Amino acid sequence: MIQGNRIHIFSVFMMLAGALVLLFVIAPLAGMFLHTSGSSIAEALQDTEVTHSILLTLGSAMAATLIFSLGIIPLAWLMARHTFRGKRIIQGIIDLPVVIPHSAAGIALLSVVSENAIFGKAAAGLGLSFIGTIGGVIIAMAFVSLPFLFNAARDSFESIDRRLEYAAMNLGASPAKTFFTISLPLAKNGIISGMIMMFARGMSEFGAIVIIAYYPMVTPVMIYDRFASFGLEASRPIALLFICIALIVFIIIRLFTRRRYATR
Amino acid sequence: MLHVKDVTIYAGTFAVNSATFRINKGEYYFLLGESGSGKSLLLEAISGTRDIQKGSIMVAGEDITHQPLNKRNVGIVFQNLALFPHKKVFKNISFSLNCRKISKKEIDFEVHQMAEKLGISKLLQRYPETLSGGEHQRVALARTLIMKPAVLLLDEPLSSLDILLKEEMVTLLKDIHQQGQTILHVTHDYHEVAQLADRISIIENGQILQTGTRLEISKAPCNRLANRISNPFL
Repeated sequence: MIQGNRIHIFSVFMMLAGALVLLFVIAPLAGMFLHTSGSSIAEALQDTEVTHSILLTLGSAMAATLIFSLGIIPLAWLMARHTFRGKRIIQGIIDLPVVIPHSAAGIALLSVVSENAIFGKAAAGLGLSFIGTIGGVIIAMAFVSLPFLFNAARDSFESIDRRLEYAAMNLGASPAKTFFTISLPLAKNGIISGMIMMFARGMSEFGAIVIIAYYPMVTPVMIYDRFASFGLEASRPIALLFICIALIVFIIIRLFTRRRYATR
Repeated sequence: MLHVKDVTIYAGTFAVNSATFRINKGEYYFLLGESGSGKSLLLEAISGTRDIQKGSIMVAGEDITHQPLNKRNVGIVFQNLALFPHKKVFKNISFSLNCRKISKKEIDFEVHQMAEKLGISKLLQRYPETLSGGEHQRVALARTLIMKPAVLLLDEPLSSLDILLKEEMVTLLKDIHQQGQTILHVTHDYHEVAQLADRISIIENGQILQTGTRLEISKAPCNRLANRISNPFL
């Protein structure tokens, strides 16, 4: 398409089409930056409700990712390495949160964890409640974001040459040792990417959380709450602050994981 | 040492049918067949990476047919060598020793001894991606030999090497054999048979057609490949 210094008309068309999409993403963000004054951001930063909400959102998303990864990674390995009846159904179930409206996901979760439901009753017996609690925020975040980690981990396990695992077992390693010394280290880059995606998706969740746990207020809910109660001017600085903090967190995670796991 | 008896393996529409052969202790044995003849399926079945539908596999008098992969005491060197890319050469070679919970001091001694034997002492702190083809082969052999397998299984070990490296590896394999190692070598290359084999089984379309020494097979070759054994340079 690009021969020497000459750019073909087709490439120009492709660039224009791509530029429109980029503009579509950048314009609202740029608009938000242009219409928000430094003083209103400083004000939002001094608002303890806002800072608590941001910390709650980041912490809950992190907790959802770490806690649920303990089950998602083994399931991803099973799906990558074994053939069994119902495998496609399991894959469909895992992908379900991506395709259903998140408010519907919230309703579905509510019907399981409310104190009238069996699971909710059992949890209440153990002193656990998911309605209007951090626990509720965590399960809502996990529910909608787990497919991102699951699919990334499964793809990573599938991409490992099986002969490496066979070689380890042939050398005397048990299945558990093979998993922890060969499969997991070789899949770690994909798993870490999946965890970052799960964290990101969980952090931005609104629909499911607003139904299970309006309070304690995570930042996406707070942005909506301030917008509904006080209008655009009140919600915009919080949205901008949240985007900036999320961006900084992502850059730190990416830099940390790249440095630590880039080569091996 | 290794007795494959009446083994049948189904792989989709292809099958290895009632394969039987016996390898004596210290013997260098070849399974010779063209691509798709079923020789690698048999090797996989012996190593435990593939289930068999019928028959039995005995190693040193013990029935290993249904034993898990990590309990068979047969060492396999895969065609692609399957070195662990995230572990240095030292960790690759010591992997089986770590599985057996041997002391660190002993592991260190054994790995250095094996590395010296195979001429790879200088490579111990390197990652596999930095090794040449021949070095890869030596490390893979060292990693398998250090576990002292009853039978060493080699899946087309020379197929990816250039002619000089091939000669080097043939010498190395002869050395390993002379030290008493029982070897089952799978290949389609009759030149390798001419250089290394004690006995050979010829396999075609999932059937073992003929078994014997080079001389025995040359007297009444069962197929084109067997015919080449008597004079590989025709």
